[in-house]
Amino acid sequence: MAVEDSAYGRWQQTVAARYKDRSFVARNRSGVEVEPVYSGLDRMGNEAEMPGQYPYTRGIYPIHYQYQPWMDLQIIGFGLPSQTRKRMDLLLEQGGSKGYFDREAYNFIFDMPTSMGYDPDHPGVRGSIGDCGISVCKASDYEVLLDGKDLSKTTVSLVLNAGSPAMLGLYLAAAKRRGFAFDKLGGNLTNYIWDFFGHSGGTNFSPRGSYRLIADIASYCAQHVPLWNPLTISEHNICEAGADNVQAVAYSIAAIIAVNEECVKLGIDPDSVVPRFGFHVRYGENFFEEVAKTRALRRVYAKVNRERFGCKKSGSLQARIHAQTAGSLLTVQQPLNNLVRNAYGALAAVLSGANGMTINAYDEALGLPTEEAVTLSLRTSQIIAEETGAVQVSDPFGGSYYVESLTDEIERRVFEIIADIDDRGGLIACIESGWIKQQVSAAAYKWRQEIESGERTMVGVNKYTTDEPEQYAVFKPDPEAARLAIEDIERHRRDRDAARCSAALEKLREAAVEVSEGRTIGSVMENLVAAAEADATLGEMQAILHDVFGRNK
Amino acid sequence: MQDNAPNPRVLLTKSFIDSHDRAIATIALALRDAAMEVVLIDYEQPEDVVTVALQEDVDIIGLSFMSGGQVETTQKIVAELKRRGVDDLPLVVGGVIRPFDVPPLEEAGVREIFRGGAPLADVVATFQRLAKAYRGYA
Repeated sequence: MAVEDSAYGRWQQTVAARYKDRSFVARNRSGVEVEPVYSGLDRMGNEAEMPGQYPYTRGIYPIHYQYQPWMDLQIIGFGLPSQTRKRMDLLLEQGGSKGYFDREAYNFIFDMPTSMGYDPDHPGVRGSIGDCGISVCKASDYEVLLDGKDLSKTTVSLVLNAGSPAMLGLYLAAAKRRGFAFDKLGGNLTNYIWDFFGHSGGTNFSPRGSYRLIADIASYCAQHVPLWNPLTISEHNICEAGADNVQAVAYSIAAIIAVNEECVKLGIDPDSVVPRFGFHVRYGENFFEEVAKTRALRRVYAKVNRERFGCKKSGSLQARIHAQTAGSLLTVQQPLNNLVRNAYGALAAVLSGANGMTINAYDEALGLPTEEAVTLSLRTSQIIAEETGAVQVSDPFGGSYYVESLTDEIERRVFEIIADIDDRGGLIACIESGWIKQQVSAAAYKWRQEIESGERTMVGVNKYTTDEPEQYAVFKPDPEAARLAIEDIERHRRDRDAARCSAALEKLREAAVEVSEGRTIGSVMENLVAAAEADATLGEMQAILHDVFGRNK
Repeated sequence: MQDNAPNPRVLLTKSFIDSHDRAIATIALALRDAAMEVVLIDYEQPEDVVTVALQEDVDIIGLSFMSGGQVETTQKIVAELKRRGVDDLPLVVGGVIRPFDVPPLEEAGVREIFRGGAPLADVVATFQRLAKAYRGYA
């Protein structure tokens, strides 16, 4: 076989074409030259796949961290927009907030009312305002949060649940007011409305309504905000709800299948939207299993999109992965142990070839992170990136008997679960029947029983325990945030052009009905932007979407 | 001596806007395995919790918090229990309970606080004990 026809030969050609004469050979402490990737024969005795080649088991880029380090996205958000802005400035000063291509990047988390699409003056949410996330309910809040930032050079990730569609409306309206063209805006909406694996109660939309809205947003963004990522499938959240790794990968792929099927049904070409979908994957529980599940996820994703949906664009076949360490494994007991847990989780993510990284703060089981803890998370990432040498070689476990075998086994089991879901009528039917939720709860309970029996060790919890006094600093959110947020929204409602706002909300309702009945697609998002521009609030837009798309039972 | 106490009836609940339900779902399964009857709901208003507790005739209420509202919500529920004349109905709280949450929760009359890592066996035993005492079987 001629060299250029081999996987290695094709890889060499790609690298030469893409990176010109740049060398990615490193030297270790002893002066030994280290290649950016190693290869050989696979377990079947065939030539091994190379990174950047279908089905992307070994990573989506031919050269990865040696060219482009992962993006550090610490979760940020508490209190009012002005309070979070102070924390953002601190993180930037510490060398964090680095996005790709010299952009600044922020990973915003919102308080639970905002996350679920409720305004701060909604009855029954008061105790949660600004606690565990930022309170944002109108376009002008972004003027405070991102004051002076060049939005064409800032990547924002908006992490939220049922409030996602309306939140994107607020962000885009704010950008528009400040004169930024939509085709320059980069960012990410987690859009967790796909997630019925954990708990979303009655705050989410009906399952069918949710998947319709996802298609609407994806199709709008593909046309108008082409650099925006409108969907993050969170394997992480499914794990955190209690599923095991195989289940979580399988359910993630099942969610992608359901989204793609919805798109196909509506006449949207998957290749026009899928390249902007991404994953959020959890690390920190079982080192090698997590490396293997990442490799299997990339492979299964590529195969499903190509073979089941006929995708042709390479971007549709490449799973981009944002890693996060496991919050549910952080312990109240001996909280400094969590620093060590997070570091191993982050290392597993790096050795898996993740594209972005959130390392939790060690004190998150105690409360909101302190500034010291947030900085230590960033340092953990920086130590892996710049001290350990772990970044010199892509897919360093490629060819390991153990990891390759585990990757194949996870892939096999994932396809089994997908076939089971297909047999049960697809993911939405499995959500509606309660089957999915029951699978996840059963897995969570089993895990907990293993902790109880001592079969599974949690250091400091069920083994090596100590009676230690509580002496850790815990971040205390501002008790005034709720009052200030409520006063602010009351002022906002008084001062806005009420007639203009009502008219925009009425148009949103009309568009939502059209989309819900399948007569058009993309116009919900268009009218969310228009309503937000007319000073409609998050909760007002959400109420209309709930009305039209139904609430989850 | 034979234990004639009926199986405790438990209301487990958390806010409709808090999506983190792994712990409360796990506690629900553990209490069911211990032969308790468990009602698991979301509440929109703190006062709703008391309404459901009375309708379901429960012996104990368990509140779960992951993302805010620990103190304010609990205080409102306690006030509603008093208003409706059932202030002896035991209330326990679990989840992310920060050190500064503890004094006001204790002052409100919360009987027990469970944080992450609390052994399930302790949680189950506490629910048993408080529920039986409420019914006068202990």
